[in-house]
Amino acid sequence: MASRNDLMKGGSDSLLLCLLEQQPMYGYQIIKELEARSQGYFRFKEGTLYPALHRLEKAGLILSQWQTLANGRQRKYYHITAKGLAKLVLEKDQWQNFFNAMQLIIMPENV
Amino acid sequence: MITPLNHYLEVIKTSLRLDAPAETEVIRELEAHIEDRFQELTESGLSEEEAASTCVGLLGSAKLVARQIYEAHSQGTWKQALLAATPHLLLGLFFALDWWQHIGWLSAMLALVILASIYGWWRGKPTWVFPWLGYSLLPVMIAGILLLYLPRHWSLLLLPLYFPLALWWLFYIIIQTTKKDWLCSSLMLLPIPIIAGWFLTIAPEGRLTDYAIQRMYYFAPWIGLSFIALALIIATFIRVRQRWLRIGLLAVAAILTFAVIAYYASERLSISTMMGLILVMWGVFLVPPLLERWVRSHKRPKVDKENIDYHAEEVLVAKGSRRY
Repeated sequence: MASRNDLMKGGSDSLLLCLLEQQPMYGYQIIKELEARSQGYFRFKEGTLYPALHRLEKAGLILSQWQTLANGRQRKYYHITAKGLAKLVLEKDQWQNFFNAMQLIIMPENV
Repeated sequence: MITPLNHYLEVIKTSLRLDAPAETEVIRELEAHIEDRFQELTESGLSEEEAASTCVGLLGSAKLVARQIYEAHSQGTWKQALLAATPHLLLGLFFALDWWQHIGWLSAMLALVILASIYGWWRGKPTWVFPWLGYSLLPVMIAGILLLYLPRHWSLLLLPLYFPLALWWLFYIIIQTTKKDWLCSSLMLLPIPIIAGWFLTIAPEGRLTDYAIQRMYYFAPWIGLSFIALALIIATFIRVRQRWLRIGLLAVAAILTFAVIAYYASERLSISTMMGLILVMWGVFLVPPLLERWVRSHKRPKVDKENIDYHAEEVLVAKGSRRY
């Protein structure tokens, strides 16, 4: 049986793009948001979030920008790009097909 | 006292091996993350010590994070791959197309090598500049060979001056490149044993005689081919992300070119010269990592590990003693 981490590996880019589609966020905010929305299911080893974000940025799927918060602290916000949005549409489609196929086999009574 | 968080960031910093601006940016971002997490943990009732250790545990292995960030940044563009391969490619064409007979081409190539090296050095030493830097050391080697052609008393007078100066210059350049990453030093030094090997194959006595020049006509296509192969390997080196793969590619480049030299130089090089060349080739891969260790141990304040209570991989979170 694949561990939760293994399952997450293939989907981490989609998760990040999906969150950034809704609003620009910084690293810590992404972790909190992901944990809250998945009701604690998705938990990154926090340090490994940044390589994933940097990889997406290098691929041109997201952009980063330093911003100063109201309390004077600086945070690096990530925004999704047009290329990232296009990629997300494809990934959502792939995941949808995957979930449908899984459901047909694992829980046919729910279909 | 060094706190676990400082230690964590120090490990990341020393393992990153990125350009200085990229490194600063990564550390700044992680510091911002730690600041938020630390504040949240202390506000939840943990002591500063507990919060620091928990924070480190939640971040995960510093070396793993640094390696993954390196891999996210390390891949060069096709343009950078072409730039890095160009000096090898030019030298390959220089021999394969018999340009070596024209002093004009040689001068133009030397000028290009020096200009590209200076430009890259000033632009923050991107990875593509290191092969150019390697060739920029050639004029120093050529100057040494030319000293042999001076009248004997002049040679005896100038050689003791030349060797310390040349070695100092070589050492200075290697130290400066090693500060970025030892792999860059190896990338820079790789052509030197190859050039030395071909030179000794053509002129085993160490002087460019008429007979040696005759032999050059015979060997030129093979010399060209070995440098074109090197150019292809270096372009691949720039495009791959994984560090172990990059080290492997440099080793393949060294073994492949050396095998070509050994094949064509058979019976022309003595066993001792061959062994000397193998030692120099090994030196290209062993000296830079050793120097890097030395440079870092002298640069960084010594960490007293007994004063660090927590390690990234083994942290018990105080709340509920849960292991992350």
